[in-house]
Amino acid sequence: MSRRPTLSRLGSLAAAAAMILAACSTGASSSFTYGPSLPVPSAAPGGSKAASLAPVSPSPAATFPLTLTDDAHGVVVLPKQPRHIVSLTPATTETLFAIGAGDRLVADGDFDDYPAEVKDLPHVATYSSVDVEKIVGLGADLVIAGGNGFNKPDAISRLKGLGIPVLVVYAPDVAGVLSDIRLIGDAVGNGSQARALTTSMQAGIDSVKAATAGLPQPRTFYEIDATKDIYGPAPDSFLAQEIQYAGGNPITTGDPAIFSIPLEKLVAADPQVIVLGDSAYGMTAAVVAARPGWKTMTAVRSGAIEPIDDLVVSRPGPRLVEGLRLLAMAIHPDLVLPPYGSPGPSASPVASPSGSALP
Amino acid sequence: MATRAEAGLVQPVVAGWLDRARSRPGLLFAGLVVVLSAALVLGVGFGTVSIAPVDTLGILVHRLLGLNLGGHWTAAAETIVFEIRLPRVLSAMVVGVGLSVAGATFQGLLRNPLADPYVLGTASGAALGAAIGILIPIRIALFEFGLVQLFAFIGALLAVGVVYRISRTGALSPLTGLLLTGYAVGSLLAAGLALTMYVSGTNLRQIFFFLLGGFDGSSWLQLAGTAPLILGGSVLIMLRAGPLNGFLLGEETAGNLGVDVRRERVILLGLGSLVTAAAVSVAGLVGFVGLVVPHLVRLVVGPNARRVLPISALLGASLMVGADLLARVLGEIPVGVVTAVIGAPFFLVLLRQTRSAYEL
Repeated sequence: MSRRPTLSRLGSLAAAAAMILAACSTGASSSFTYGPSLPVPSAAPGGSKAASLAPVSPSPAATFPLTLTDDAHGVVVLPKQPRHIVSLTPATTETLFAIGAGDRLVADGDFDDYPAEVKDLPHVATYSSVDVEKIVGLGADLVIAGGNGFNKPDAISRLKGLGIPVLVVYAPDVAGVLSDIRLIGDAVGNGSQARALTTSMQAGIDSVKAATAGLPQPRTFYEIDATKDIYGPAPDSFLAQEIQYAGGNPITTGDPAIFSIPLEKLVAADPQVIVLGDSAYGMTAAVVAARPGWKTMTAVRSGAIEPIDDLVVSRPGPRLVEGLRLLAMAIHPDLVLPPYGSPGPSASPVASPSGSALP
Repeated sequence: MATRAEAGLVQPVVAGWLDRARSRPGLLFAGLVVVLSAALVLGVGFGTVSIAPVDTLGILVHRLLGLNLGGHWTAAAETIVFEIRLPRVLSAMVVGVGLSVAGATFQGLLRNPLADPYVLGTASGAALGAAIGILIPIRIALFEFGLVQLFAFIGALLAVGVVYRISRTGALSPLTGLLLTGYAVGSLLAAGLALTMYVSGTNLRQIFFFLLGGFDGSSWLQLAGTAPLILGGSVLIMLRAGPLNGFLLGEETAGNLGVDVRRERVILLGLGSLVTAAAVSVAGLVGFVGLVVPHLVRLVVGPNARRVLPISALLGASLMVGADLLARVLGEIPVGVVTAVIGAPFFLVLLRQTRSAYEL
């Protein structure tokens, strides 16, 4: 008698999960950039929003030893200023360079691609694993990891168990990105640079909001991927919030735990603008227009289908304002935005390991 | 193609080797002890960071025996060897032992060659438990075991318990009842798992990794928490090799031979499930080893559980340690994939070469 072992049934489930993951990873680059467009579970940091609503006050330069609370409510104790930093997400790597701590970065993740300096760093985190052994071998004294499941929680607790401080960051919204930049700044002893950066970013965000304030808000669908199912922003997600700031009315999946939207629902929502977050993967307005059933949408009929650099839009890092501006111009092609200066010292990292205040 | 000619050369070699192994199980046992030791040494010696063998040895002697051979190594090297590699390699060994012994037990008890440690709903129960543990945002940890491991352990045991209770009330024979109930309950739990995965959002990846299995979270504390259960349970099963042999002849015959069938069945099922649940809570759902290792061993030494159980334990441990080493060196690919890729061709060769009639 042949009865299939239970595992084979689980195997097919696992295969299904793999397909879902693959779908997300090919199109939704946001899942590589620690899921900013994904919904916020109840484990989300409670304090981030409140903290960033408060006026940004220039805090005194952090002194070590230092104790911080991260976005996963973990208490991180740093006996001295970190000199060998490992960053496991593209956004935190960008942040470290933008606040002048890039020269202390000793390893990063496989998908980190900006700025160009990171190409030469050893990579210790893939999509599915973290090389704990290599991180220990590099003598890391601070690991900055992505929360909300971006980096494998097993690996994070393993690193902590080995006595390596791990700062877990997860930004559920735009304000969270800014407070994470300040948190990282404090952790590496570059708090002043981080605050200078977030002040400038906040001004950039405010200018986009101001420029779009009086405009009509077209129904906007941000397409993350549509190779099989159609993936778009969940309600209240980082991406949906960005669309609002950029002067659009976001069409979402309708449920924070669901990332795909049925075609029927999208047709009924009738987007006036479609933004192609998957344009880097070869998606074009012509392909969208030729899809069966899409012709009835206002955006398709009027040709309001705009490609965009999804990495800049959905990565919760220092280039957030650039992404927001791209998004605003995709939604309102005639919009004129005031110039946005170089956000802090990102172009030329300021080597200032002592964490002294910027002018 | 030279494969036919090569097969002609390999065939008598393998067959002769099989004959010798069959006639001298003691030698086979000793050989496997050597293989396991080699796997352990290689497992501790290699990884993504290269550490000189002298240093590795020095660190082990220093930490395990308290002797200082005068080597100089970095603190990082000491952490890597003693806190990362050693507990990981030993976890793989312990889980390999547990899954192989549990697999052999379930196959014998249920008289079904397709039985594996997960056959009575353990896998779906553990997976559903782990998935629920992942979705609950509370993070507590005892012995570096969080909710995920705890719920996986409880889920596995609950599933088997429910299967056993339901199967006893039916009109079917106990074995058929157990297998069919296991299948039905497993399907129900798998549906629950599918639903949990569907609503899990960003936690989907974590659930997925649990389903794949692996050892990258291993630590001394986790090992200390599970090794006694797994190894203790395995030894207790081995002590019941006699009754297990009785079950191989059929429950009626076993009864006639003086085996208290109902009692032994519960004990063996309980021990096998306990071992499996503990193994699953450390390693996730590592497939293949529990199904195939006992068959491999039976192909060589025959069906006697007194030989099958200890030799399966050694072979399963070696395979798991070796597979985990390969998985690490190849960049953290899922260990279950490696065990299947190594084990399946080996199994097929043995199946084709075996001369004696194979029976469970």
